[in-house]
Amino acid sequence: MSNFSRFKNRLLAKALTRFPILARMMAAKVKPLEFDTIPWAPLRGPLKEMKVALITTAGVHLVDDKPFDMNDKTGDPTFRVVPSSTPAENLAITHDYYNHKDADTDINIVFPIHRLAEFASEGRIGAVAERHFGFMGHIEENHLDQFINEQIPAVTAMLKEDGVDVVLITPG
Amino acid sequence: MCNRSGGLIQRVLEAEGISSVGVSIERKFTEEIKPPRSIYLKWPYGHPLGEPGNVKQQRAVMNKAFELLETATQPGVIDDIPFRWRREKYD
Repeated sequence: MSNFSRFKNRLLAKALTRFPILARMMAAKVKPLEFDTIPWAPLRGPLKEMKVALITTAGVHLVDDKPFDMNDKTGDPTFRVVPSSTPAENLAITHDYYNHKDADTDINIVFPIHRLAEFASEGRIGAVAERHFGFMGHIEENHLDQFINEQIPAVTAMLKEDGVDVVLITPG
Repeated sequence: MCNRSGGLIQRVLEAEGISSVGVSIERKFTEEIKPPRSIYLKWPYGHPLGEPGNVKQQRAVMNKAFELLETATQPGVIDDIPFRWRREKYD
């Protein structure tokens, strides 16, 4: 994608943040996916004993990690691992489809890594997982198969390895 | 579209036995994808937990999400959180 296209996407993202009605009009145009059933995993125990991980679709990744692919206009279905001990200054956001100016100043508004640590130290949750995960949520139809059948299952396997009970999911 | 992707992640996690709760700021996608548990805030894109530096606000959203996790009894629930954008006081 040309620099001009990326510039256009970012400009649009700013407008969508400033005028939520535009965002809702655009959302109304996306072809719906249909589901009949809803999977359900009951909470395994009291929250104060649960190990919690974060997954965000806000494009969060380590500064040193490979940024999400913004040149493919149909998106990037891959994920990035974010160790829960990562300091805020080592985190970056790559995502041209929403305005992350505010999130760049406080990552917690899209990826509440510090808030979760506080909840653990206060005993509201049992523990923070060793690893959190970042996706870039702009993923169109041609990437959905890889997203649903390869990338999310890979994250799920890592969550199981870490003994995670609960995941909090946040968008961009 | 971030909200749609998040809902899809939730569906896979729950099918594998991991409980989840999602924060949504785009109700249309959440209704369509049917994640098991979501809280919805009518807030601008890029701000699911609120404003930068507003720790009380961010904590209030987290508490709502965790409360839903503790109380939801059936799949597909969307809890509409009545917090107004920039016009709410948080304790």
